[in-house]
Amino acid sequence: MPEKNLIEIEGLSFKRGDRVIFDGLDMVVRAGQITAIMGPSGTGKTTLLRVIGGQVRPDSGSVRVGGKDVCLMSRGELFELRKDLGMLFQSSALFTDLSVFENVAFPLRVHTDLPEDSIRDLVLMKLNAVGLRGARDLEPSQLSGGMSRRVALARAIALDPSLLMYDEPFTGQDPIALGVLLSLIKNLNQALRTTSLVVSHDVRETLRIADYVYVIADGVVMGQGSPESIASHESDRVQQFIHGSPDGPVPFHYPADDFVYDILEDAAG
Amino acid sequence: MIRFVRSVGSQALERLAGLGRSTVMWATAIWGLPGPGDLVLVLRQIYHVGVLSLIIIVLSAFSIGAVIALQFYTQLSRFGAEDAVGLGLALTLLRELGPVVTALLFAGRAGSAITAEIGLMKATEQLSSMEMMGVDPLHRIVAPRLWAGIISLPLLTAVFNVVAIYGGVVVAVEWLGSDPGAFWSGMRDAVELWDDVGKGMLKSVAFALVVTWIAVFQGYDTEPTAEGIGLATTRTVVLSSVMVLAMDFLLTLSMYGDF
Repeated sequence: MPEKNLIEIEGLSFKRGDRVIFDGLDMVVRAGQITAIMGPSGTGKTTLLRVIGGQVRPDSGSVRVGGKDVCLMSRGELFELRKDLGMLFQSSALFTDLSVFENVAFPLRVHTDLPEDSIRDLVLMKLNAVGLRGARDLEPSQLSGGMSRRVALARAIALDPSLLMYDEPFTGQDPIALGVLLSLIKNLNQALRTTSLVVSHDVRETLRIADYVYVIADGVVMGQGSPESIASHESDRVQQFIHGSPDGPVPFHYPADDFVYDILEDAAG
Repeated sequence: MIRFVRSVGSQALERLAGLGRSTVMWATAIWGLPGPGDLVLVLRQIYHVGVLSLIIIVLSAFSIGAVIALQFYTQLSRFGAEDAVGLGLALTLLRELGPVVTALLFAGRAGSAITAEIGLMKATEQLSSMEMMGVDPLHRIVAPRLWAGIISLPLLTAVFNVVAIYGGVVVAVEWLGSDPGAFWSGMRDAVELWDDVGKGMLKSVAFALVVTWIAVFQGYDTEPTAEGIGLATTRTVVLSSVMVLAMDFLLTLSMYGDF
């Protein structure tokens, strides 16, 4: 088991307007592991990835990636750091004016001086790893949702990054595409000896591949541990989330005035 | 009353913040380019915003040149001064209509396209993914479009002027029978290289800076939704048009206003 921490987050606080997203959040991501961040929609999971990538500056706290605090980095330093990060976006975010091949070649062309032959070989290797070598000449508009995500994954691993971040990778996938993505995340983490951070609210799928799990809600970590320990966590909120109970500590109803009062007030005009 | 003052203050602060963001974006983008490797990006954008705008520029220029020549001929012929059609046409086009109409057409054709393209890239997270790959979208996406606009608009203005004068020739000389010698010599005697051609092109460069700045900023700063992109595209055309007309008055005043 690797001991080094790749990401260390301490006392992270962040507000959007009056809404508190993170309220002194602490988290550690160990190198070489698949760490899952789960939680209900709107709890700031994607924002957390953007904070780690330096796209969002928190109000306070520290976020160290590879020992360096991204909150203190200049714009140039951030762009340098990101060359060693890969991120799979929920929307895949493929460049629509480039073919599948050129999408995967993009980071190689921008960040390396490799000759065209080497770029071609590398792109084909990455596309082969996600099973889409044969789709190299297709345009993004010709791909299904699952294929788009796999191409985006091939692009994310083009430079063999130390950290791969997945933003809701399983959303909207059919069972076959979902199975493919699960095995790809697991296998790539081992083959590339990278660290994976998976943000998701798909409980069953995420618990199958994660080495360590964080459940966040209300801006703090509600529970953490191995997938097994999370499944039997004592917190009611964690249990409600894991089992998908419609009502519980997170109420079914959005906060509102008393229903009877609301109806009567309307009737009274 | 207090609510009204608060709302005005808040909107003013918002506008000021927007102006600040756009200035920082403009400065960051414009100094970030071009390196030798980026030339191809600029050339590609020149094709998109410049070459693809040629058809509308040429058609509009011919039509406007023809109409101006017709109006000048109709009025001047009443005083037997139809020989002055050439100089009137040239001065009107080179000093005012060429730069202004080209900039307005450019804002409608290329400016709106730039805003929609960048806005859609933002909405589909393409700009974010570029950032996360360690590629600065200000250099990769915004700067080539800025430079392409700054290079293309003056060139389109030159094309506009030439085609519009040709349109005037077709109407005044070929159709209505003005004397070609008087038409061309009147134009040659009246037009000064710097005062008319040079200052007109200078206006065009100023319009190019402002129109492309507005277009890229509206796209980059848009709300990443379908409605947001629609509003941003509209804002680009409206703001650019108003700015071009306002700037034209000020530039004309400073260049030719000798009161």
